[in-house]
Amino acid sequence: MSLRVLSVNLLKNNRNFIQNAVRNSKGPGVQALALAPYATQVTVQATPAAVQKQKVSKAMKAYLERAKEHDDFMKTQDLEFQIGKRHLANMMGADAETFTQEDIDEAIAYLFPSGLFDKRARPAMRSPEEVFPARKAAEFDETGRPFHSMFYTGKPNFFQLLHDIVEETNKLYDLEERMLRRGNKPDENQKLETAGFQLLPKDQLERVLVEHIADIEYQNFTNAMDRLISLPYSYKSKAFIERYLKPLIDQSKQLEVPKPKIDDQGRQYITTYECLRKTARADVTVRLPGTGKITINGQDISYFSSEECKEQLLFPLNYSEMLGKVDVEANVEGGGPSGQAGAIRWGIAMSLRSFVDQEMIESMRLAGLLTRDYRRRERKKYGQEGARRKYTWKKR
Amino acid sequence: MSMYPSHFAEPSLKKETNRSSASHIPVKAATNDLSDSIFYGELKNKLIKYITKKGNKSLARELLTETFETIKRTQIERLILAGTEKENIIIDSEQLLKNAIENARPLLQLSAIKRGGVKYQVPVPVTEKKSYFLAMKWLLDAAREKDRKVHLPEKLAWEILDAACGQGRVIKKKNDLHRQCESNRAYAHYRWS
Repeated sequence: MSLRVLSVNLLKNNRNFIQNAVRNSKGPGVQALALAPYATQVTVQATPAAVQKQKVSKAMKAYLERAKEHDDFMKTQDLEFQIGKRHLANMMGADAETFTQEDIDEAIAYLFPSGLFDKRARPAMRSPEEVFPARKAAEFDETGRPFHSMFYTGKPNFFQLLHDIVEETNKLYDLEERMLRRGNKPDENQKLETAGFQLLPKDQLERVLVEHIADIEYQNFTNAMDRLISLPYSYKSKAFIERYLKPLIDQSKQLEVPKPKIDDQGRQYITTYECLRKTARADVTVRLPGTGKITINGQDISYFSSEECKEQLLFPLNYSEMLGKVDVEANVEGGGPSGQAGAIRWGIAMSLRSFVDQEMIESMRLAGLLTRDYRRRERKKYGQEGARRKYTWKKR
Repeated sequence: MSMYPSHFAEPSLKKETNRSSASHIPVKAATNDLSDSIFYGELKNKLIKYITKKGNKSLARELLTETFETIKRTQIERLILAGTEKENIIIDSEQLLKNAIENARPLLQLSAIKRGGVKYQVPVPVTEKKSYFLAMKWLLDAAREKDRKVHLPEKLAWEILDAACGQGRVIKKKNDLHRQCESNRAYAHYRWS
């Protein structure tokens, strides 16, 4: 057991160590290299032919050294990971050969129960390829000349991407003009469908490019892509565009609708527990053939004195045209009136899903009834009067 | 500064059939002033928020309902007293409020721009949102400036009724502003140069 923990720790320690090593070894002769001093395992194995040659620049030499170091490091890490996995499998009484990452996560959650809130702070064991981000291959030859024409921008892959986008755009402009001259129109049937897609988020794009990009640079990327997609002939460069699109999850099918149960009076009912809004907490039961009776903590709708709260309760019922057809029972605690009303509203809407058709569920989703309102009170900040308000400014 | 990520859509109460494009977009939760009851009005909600003082929204709501009641009472009185022209009198107080705000909306505004050490009052077009805000603010300002004996709903009702037929202090204020913009038109180019 201790060995595995050790391996987890080792992963972290070694990572720091290698970063320090990289930092320290930046001498005056490796300035060109400082921009991208990393290599993947693959490149290191491919380079020895270059090492044989006489003329090897200092930058290349330093790079090769560092690459070899990284390579060795990754090898030891992988070895440790395999040993750790084997121990874990033995402890859990499973076969080490068929022990998957899921099993590892499960075993760690079982053997090291952690109450830490942030999931990233909990103990974990993952393969070193996942833990250590990918590094760039050699970007220059043995004489120190960079391969890429945009090497000195510092972010060659990113600027190459921008360049490619503009090239595609210009191509489409030309095409449009030629088609106009011929009197052709873009094909409506082939139009690019981007409704279910999203441009790659920044972190994913960074992983694709193996480069860190600034927010404004990501914005440049999105602007250029948006322009490309909006062109009438954008379907001609579909293959290029789709490389930078990510499919979105279909929201309407995300939540499973529970089957209603039958109570002793023969009525269908659904109970939704944990209806939360602000600091209020409720559980709501909706029964199907009903007369529109509403019970909140043993009282009727006059439990709420303000009109707005009463309206909130009736909102999902009225919207789904189930007002007067179902009975609602709710228990609420915590929070104020508006929070309690919001919690019950969400509970009613969630329960009503079992009694209405799919189209109505989608309507309710678009009306924002099925989204949990997770906004909370904003904290007061020091040096300020409240969350946002500043103290009155006085010169002296 | 919203809690929601930027790709979340605003909730909409329309029940349409063709929404294939919307099925992938997550929706923000409906706020607690949204409702599909027949008494719901977007403009009304905004005005309630402007009337509210120190977070006492229920009082603001009460005041607006009272205003609407007063408007309706006076309009019905007028309807009874009117002899022949009964069609011209609108009784729906929400419609009257809408008319009043539409009438009071400004097109231009003066903003001070400093050029060469001198501040110029430069006419600048007002955005739609801001124009609605200004119209409602002027209505409320006019209503709040009153004698001690007059209750806010009463005064607000008068102002709304006045503005709805294109008279009163609010409309005068709008016209004054427009006139000032007109007289300062010579400085209009300072907006971009």
